[in-house]
Amino acid sequence: MIDSTQMVKKIFTQKSGRVETNKGEEYYNSLFEKAKSRLKSLRVQPALRDVDIMDVLETEGVNRRDFMKWVSATTATLMLPPMFAPLVAEATELMNRVPVIWIELQDCAGNTEALLRSSAPTVDDLLFDVLSLEFHHALMACAGHDAEHQLDEAMEHFKDKYLLFVEGSIPTGMNGNYGTIGPAGETFQEHLMRLSKDAAAIVAVGTCATFGGVPAAAPNPTKAVGVMDLVRGKPVVNIPACPANPANMVGVVLHYVLTGQIPELDSLLRPKFAFGYRIHDNCERRAHFDAGEFVEEWGDEGAKNNWCLYKVGCKGPMTFNNCSIIRYNEGTNWPIGAGHGCIGCSEPDFWDKYAYQRPMANANIKPPTGGVERTVDEFGLGLLTATAIGIGVHAVASVVANKKSKEEEEK
Amino acid sequence: MKTVDLVERIEGEAKLICSWKNNKVSDARIDFLNFRGFEYILEEKSPLDALIYTPRICGICGQAHLKATVEALENIYENINEKIEISNKAKLLRQIGLNIEIIDSHIKWFYLFIMPDIIKLNSSDLGIYAPLKGKRWLEACKTASETIKALAIIGGQWPHTSYMNVGGVMSDPTRMDLINMQNYLQIAIDFFEDSVSGVSLEDYLSFDSLNDLEKLDKDMKYFKDLCFKYHLNVYGKSHNRFISLAESNLFRSGKIKQKIVNKIDLSKIAESNEYTFSLNEKENISKKHTWSKLVTYNDNFFETGPLARAIISNRRFIKELHKSFDDSVFTRVMARVDEMAFLINDTKSLISQIDLLENSFIKPKISLNDIEKASGLSVVEACRGSLYHKIDIENGKIKAYDVITPTVWNLGPSNKKEKGIAQKAIIGSPNIEIAKIVLRSFDVCSVCTTH
Ligand code: SF4
Ligand code: SF4
Repeated sequence: MIDSTQMVKKIFTQKSGRVETNKGEEYYNSLFEKAKSRLKSLRVQPALRDVDIMDVLETEGVNRRDFMKWVSATTATLMLPPMFAPLVAEATELMNRVPVIWIELQDCAGNTEALLRSSAPTVDDLLFDVLSLEFHHALMACAGHDAEHQLDEAMEHFKDKYLLFVEGSIPTGMNGNYGTIGPAGETFQEHLMRLSKDAAAIVAVGTCATFGGVPAAAPNPTKAVGVMDLVRGKPVVNIPACPANPANMVGVVLHYVLTGQIPELDSLLRPKFAFGYRIHDNCERRAHFDAGEFVEEWGDEGAKNNWCLYKVGCKGPMTFNNCSIIRYNEGTNWPIGAGHGCIGCSEPDFWDKYAYQRPMANANIKPPTGGVERTVDEFGLGLLTATAIGIGVHAVASVVANKKSKEEEEK
Repeated sequence: MKTVDLVERIEGEAKLICSWKNNKVSDARIDFLNFRGFEYILEEKSPLDALIYTPRICGICGQAHLKATVEALENIYENINEKIEISNKAKLLRQIGLNIEIIDSHIKWFYLFIMPDIIKLNSSDLGIYAPLKGKRWLEACKTASETIKALAIIGGQWPHTSYMNVGGVMSDPTRMDLINMQNYLQIAIDFFEDSVSGVSLEDYLSFDSLNDLEKLDKDMKYFKDLCFKYHLNVYGKSHNRFISLAESNLFRSGKIKQKIVNKIDLSKIAESNEYTFSLNEKENISKKHTWSKLVTYNDNFFETGPLARAIISNRRFIKELHKSFDDSVFTRVMARVDEMAFLINDTKSLISQIDLLENSFIKPKISLNDIEKASGLSVVEACRGSLYHKIDIENGKIKAYDVITPTVWNLGPSNKKEKGIAQKAIIGSPNIEIAKIVLRSFDVCSVCTTH
């Protein structure tokens, strides 16, 4: 386990992972053309499910304006300029050209639950009607041996074309016997290998599938690992968080439909559009952080006034994720909104490093500007403002959230 | 003859092995073959960290685990005579959160998990109930998503919330938040009236006789008719013994064998791993066949869950059904749907009882990390039945953590003395489809069972 002082030191001195939101006109123009021809070629392909998104939306009483609102928000989430909105709308219609197979391994079904909980603009429809979910263990009509057949058929039929979504980690201890599936008792590892072989790309959803998750917490009794530790020679996209945000799952699929490629990833294989900035950069309590107004203990006046949760263990400054912008349950709320700190669930090892009752605030750390080690309180909160933590990230994320004006960005 | 089948459309997967004699199931075994080891993971961790870990045992009943953990930790204080104060507001917010999770789970379970199998007995076209595209299926999903928002308001998100803490809750809802919560619950009421029961909630709650079955309309009627047509009011009977460990506004605790509800003595609960795989490979001799342990009360198997709660808490309509149809698939499923109605009603009233001026959180005087040696336990009524957590701490660290989930009561293996609850219920099924429906009627959760 990493010593917390060391960790905090590292966090406040590391460079922010800067996301390039503006890659220049030339880049976007060529991407635009590419996407256009990709969509054109998809359109001539037969639909896997005979559903028209516009019909679906209409019958569900979602008007075109609401749909376009969703489209522009999604375009922004994908960090694409507004000119891409019509293409994103079109890609949504064509989502039924991309087959998806979803498997559950050593999981809690939390990501499936999260997926079921997303519906803007009735994404129920987007996902369930339009997206061609060819196999999902929990959400299908057939079961038992029929289900096995359906899976084999989908694999055969969509060879090299399907996106494989994986939920849950993979136990490697005891020859894989901590998790087996199917009548023949295939281990989770064998199952994953067999299914990923013919996939176009693999999307690991949730912290279990990406980094091993809670099952991998010390002493990791089943020797659980994530997908990227096992699968080689295939594109892997990680969408960590516990649970992963459905908006990001949809985002990855849309990006794939739009460009035929997986989105740009960071060194941990996370899409930059979602994990390019920190919780802290767009937190609604950020102004209180900057002003040095902290909740000192649960239930105090600060807590009642929604002050910053850093001193009671918020890990927002160390956690890369976009939940401070898109929130959960269709934007209803998110952990910090309800009054408890971020637990860093999208970071590797969060289960051992960040479990929330360990404030980082009283660890001795070195100010990013150099000088003597002091605690966060001592060295002054001014230092920990946007300037010190990384204006780059903060600015970029704010643009995405449409919070900052253009002039400000230019300064 | 022996058959091996798989049960999906649950959380995780279960393997059902049936022996057949004279075209009936003569013996059954249920294997859960997925394990993560939460109890081992919790050892040596700081006690409060359990609040982050245990909800992640299950993506469906995380609230129940969270509440069980927080109350087990609070019970430690009680056991060392440092009883801490929990405001009524915090207690209400915890119970409300748990109730909403159960409502959400019952809606989904009925439509997503069991209806498709029951309809398939009758027709290959599931129509409006077809997964992923049927109108009613989508409506049910949508209603569940809206209902759970009432919990997200106080919990921050769902699944996997962490708003409960030793001493209270971290959330401090506003008047507006409470109104929004009531509105989200109203969506569940509308759905219950328009699609589930076809009668007003008020009328439904007054049902108290067998004749009231005739008043049911919509999906409950459809379900009832199919049950009678395919004898699901006869299949699925087990030991007819029920247990419910925790008390709430709505539920009483107790166990019932013949007629009289008896008080619970938690020390009579015993867990065994005689048939359960071990982490030590050498111990995995042939009689070990599942990752689920088995649990008994006073050496007997008891069924837990909505049916047990309805009977022990004396909910008239279900008690009447039980008199005629015993613990059959029909009664068991009806009890779950019935509970949905009572919970929605109860939760609305709990929300109206919140006094916003009270504190959400009152800090305990001493820290758990400073306690040398102590234990605590808690019981909670979760979606699928009684959940039990026991925690031992030593020098500020977790020494041992024991979780007994509802599905272990219902779906654990047999012992030498008698058949497990679900096993006994499956025996006698005329075909594999019915056998699987019987198994499903317990609301199987593989990941909770084995944790
Ligand atoms: S990442 Fe979290 S939500 Fe997902 S399977 Fe693991 S514990 Fe469950
Ligand atoms: S420390 Fe946490 S609560 Fe405070 S501003 Fe950052 S993310 Fe928000």
